[in-house]
Parts: sequence; C-alpha cells; structure tokens
Amino acid sequence: MLPNRSRLSVLVFLLPPLLLYCVAVLFPIVQSMFLSFFSWNGISDMEFVGLANYVRMLTADDIFWRSFFNALGYLAICLVLQLGGALLVASLLTSMRRGRELIKTLYLLPAVISTVAIAFLFVRIYSIEPVGLLNQLLHWIGLGALERPWLSDINTVLTAVSAPEGWRFTGLYMLIIYAALLSVPQELEEAARLDGASRWQLFTKIRFPHIMPVWITTTIMATTYGLRGFDIPYLMTNGGPGQSSELLTTYMYKTAFSSTDFGYASTIAVFIVVECLVAVGLILFLLKRKADA
Amino acid sequence: MTAPAAPITRPVAVPSDSLPPLRRRKPPSLHSTLSRVLIALIVIVQVYPLAWLFITSLRTEHDFATGDPFALPKSLTWENYARAFETGNLWLNILNSFIVTMGANVLIVLLGMMAAYALQVLGFRFSKFVRSLFLVGIIVPVQIALVPLFIDYSTINLLDTYPSMIIPLAGFALPMSIYLFSSFFEYIPRETYEAASLDGAGPYRIFGLITLPLSVNTVVTVVLVNSIFIWNDFIFANTFVLSEELKTIPLGLQNYIGAMGKTDWTATFAAVCITITPLLLVFLVLNKAMIQGLESGGSKG
Repeated sequence: MLPNRSRLSVLVFLLPPLLLYCVAVLFPIVQSMFLSFFSWNGISDMEFVGLANYVRMLTADDIFWRSFFNALGYLAICLVLQLGGALLVASLLTSMRRGRELIKTLYLLPAVISTVAIAFLFVRIYSIEPVGLLNQLLHWIGLGALERPWLSDINTVLTAVSAPEGWRFTGLYMLIIYAALLSVPQELEEAARLDGASRWQLFTKIRFPHIMPVWITTTIMATTYGLRGFDIPYLMTNGGPGQSSELLTTYMYKTAFSSTDFGYASTIAVFIVVECLVAVGLILFLLKRKADA
Repeated sequence: MTAPAAPITRPVAVPSDSLPPLRRRKPPSLHSTLSRVLIALIVIVQVYPLAWLFITSLRTEHDFATGDPFALPKSLTWENYARAFETGNLWLNILNSFIVTMGANVLIVLLGMMAAYALQVLGFRFSKFVRSLFLVGIIVPVQIALVPLFIDYSTINLLDTYPSMIIPLAGFALPMSIYLFSSFFEYIPRETYEAASLDGAGPYRIFGLITLPLSVNTVVTVVLVNSIFIWNDFIFANTFVLSEELKTIPLGLQNYIGAMGKTDWTATFAAVCITITPLLLVFLVLNKAMIQGLESGGSKG
C-alpha cells in the first residue's frame, strides 16, 4: 500500500472503472437472471411465471436440446483444431531454427480478420456452384465423390460452420503454448535426453507437465470462447438448414430478437453462463487432478 | 553446404545455407524434415484462403463465375474495388469503426489503468473481492448482456448511438486490461513509490508522474489486442445499431449480399480486402508488440 494514500484516492481511481463494469457486465447478468422468471415480449406487461421458463427449456423444448448438443459438437471441433493444432505447431516450431517469427506472424493472420469476412470467405470455399476451393481440391485428389454443398447438407453443416472458428484462432493459442514451451528448462531436457528419452517421452514426461498451468489456461480460454461462438454460424447458415447448425447462442439470439420472447431468451442466456461456469470448473477439476497425480 | 546430404530428398523450400559456419549441426534428420514439411503445410492452410481472397478480388466477374478457383486470374482488374465503393457506404463504415474503436480504447486504457492502480498500488481491504468481481467478466459470455442492454438502452434512448456499442465493448474488455496493467505494475519497484512519497507526492501525482509514463508499452499492447476484437465486433453492433449512418465495417459488409441472397462476390471480396487492410498493416508493423501481449495475456493466468 502506498504510504500517503487516502480512502478518497482509492475511490477516485476505483469508482469510474467499477461503474462502467457494473453498467455493462454485472448489472446485465443480474437483470438476465431476473428476466428469466418472467414472460415478456417487450411491449405488454411483464408477467411473473416463476420457474416455468426453466421447466419449458429443460423438458419441453426439442430445439433447445438440439442446440445444446450442436453446441457441444461445435465446441469439440473448435477445441481439436485450436488446441490440437496449436500444440502440434508450437512443438514443431521449437525444433526450428529459422523463420519462427515469420511463421508466428503468418499463423496469427486469420485472427486479425473480422468474422463477417471469414464467414463470406468460407461460404465461397464450401460452395459447389461456382465450384469453391474445397470441392475443387477433393476433385483433384480423386475424392470427387465427396464433393457436396457443405453448408446445405445436414450431415456436414455443423462441421462446416465449426471449422472456420477453429481455423481462425489456432494461431492465438499456438503463440501462448509456444511461449510456455520456450520456458521449459533446457537442463531438464538435456538430462532426459542423456538418459535416452525418446522425443515422445521427452514431450509427455518433461515438456507437457511443465506447461500444464498454461495448458489449463488455454483450455479454459478456448472452451469459454467455443461455448459463446455465435458470429460465424449465425452469418453462414443462421442455424439452418432446419436446426442442424443451431447453437444455443444463435437460438437465444433468435428467441430474443426475432420472436421477441425476452423472458425465455434470458433463461437460455442464464443457461449459457451456467454452462460456461460448469465447463471451467470441470476443466480445473480434471486437469488439476491429472497434474497432481 | 557443409552437411552431408540427407538420407531422403529434401523439399526445395529448405534453404541450403541455413547452417552457421561455426556451430556445425547434425545433418537434418527425418524428424526435422518431416516437421518442416508439416509446418509448411499447416501454414499454407492458414494463409492460402487469405491469399485466395485477395486474388479473387482482382478477378473479373466472368472469370470468377466460370474459372477454376485455384487458377490465377487471366487478367487483373481493379474494377471490383471501384464497385465496392459504389455499392456500400464503405468510407462511412470505416469512419464509424474508427470512432468506436478509439472511444472504446480510451475507456479501456484509462479505466483499466486506474483500476489496476487502485488494486495493485494503492491497495485496500476488499481488493481481493473486487478482483474476483472483475474475473467474472472474463469467463461470462457477452451474450448474457444483449437482452438486458437492449431493454435498458431503449428505455433511456441510447439504442442506435455510438455509446451503445462502446459501453459493452469497453466493459467486457476491461477485466483483461486490468489484468495486464496489474501484472505490469507489479514490476515497478516499491522503492520508487516510497521515494516519491517521501518527497511529498500524493497518490495522484505518483499516478501521473511515475505509473502513467512507465506504462506506455503496456498501453500499446492493450490497445493493439483490444483493437482486433473491437474493430471486428459484430454482435453488439448488429444488436444495438439499426441506422445505415452508424454501421461499422462488419455490418457494412453485409450490404454486399443483394436481394434474394444474390451476391456480387468479386466486389464483396474487394470490400473485404479494403476493410481488413488497416488492421492488417498495423498488425504486420507492430506484430512483435501484439504477439507479446497475447502471449503474456494467456501464459500468466
């Protein structure tokens, strides 16, 4: 603590940021919880319905469950691409001597581009008429039978809308993991190598345990971002065809702003928050326990 | 080339003069060759779509509709760029994005620094509690705020204004910036503050004369990292802004989708190229600072 500080000075510095934060973040959370107990379309009087919205969501809404499982699939694809891809490239990069900076920059490029631009880009990459990059590539490598309109085929659409999000942020997580890998003590690796450890052993026994704290942070970041994913599926397919690429976030958005069912939309929003908190708790529990074992 | 030939043929991409003359290394093993090829492949997957975006923006419409997407355009044209400017309000969108990005950044930097100063340097009894309050904003998804803010804004007539975008953007970015500033303030030696205090400087002067000037690097990092997200924000702009005059770039781009979903793709791609250029240039020039910021953002948590 600073010697000459006064209580007033603390307030002067703390109140403005806290005020903005309350207005933009904390108060809306409380308000959402409040709204979730009401039925309200924004115009007529608010009607208190107790837990009815929650009961409807959990027991009587097929679209909700469909969106929930889609969101889990979306998350799984994002995590594999982002964390798997990031770990792979980061480890490969540590054994390279030149061009690391260039590769880091190139790899991060997609993260700089807006989701709208990415959605446009991937709509074209997936398209079949005129033929897009993906279908053309399949044709060339002799897998022409797999060519299809990726975004209107209900079997492929969820994967197709998840991949761009994964693609976009791999570079970000790679950077973080790479920085952590660089901090692994060289003596430790040398010693293990002298003892005849293979590359795989070196990775699983020395490197990975060492970056565990960072790995946990990265996993939490990627998971919470994956669960709140919205822009790309919303822009590419708007949840369609049918509900085959509907996520909880797009479903909530439509419930709020197309059906103007503010109460029920808030219920879904509260569920998304709970889902994020549970996910974070679960990751901390599972990974911490594994790290201690 | 000082090393003997590798057991398998190496791809052309590997430079032959990569070995420093004094530190002689083992010949490139199968492993390192493979990992280079793999890295090259992954980088192509990351970068090619963007290169393709640019190439397509230079194609003629006819070439685009009939041609092989991988082929180079038969002739280059800047026509699409001209059409991109005619179709939408591109300049207006860029200006709006600038205003929103600047406004939010000012709030994020100033308020973030103040909060970190109060938490880290001044210190107070409930600082732990306030810190964890701010942590909520990192975990909680922005979607929770959409409906309440929409309702609140419409009661106080704030819908369809710049602040309607700036407030939530700044609010949700604040926790991360407080975190970055706090971890930087940790490194300023306590003795500096104590010496200044002995000389009679109060908390305000110490903030203005010591903490603020020392934080310039962190400010750059915070601004860069946040600008990416704010410049590209879609969800707040899409929810709170309706009028054409206030649309930012991500919304403006949607204008290129015509009626019945018929899209002028080459003009759209030209518009995309125009709108990503400012950020891309800043990123390429300052990517060291940005990369450092992103790394420290994640690796200390």
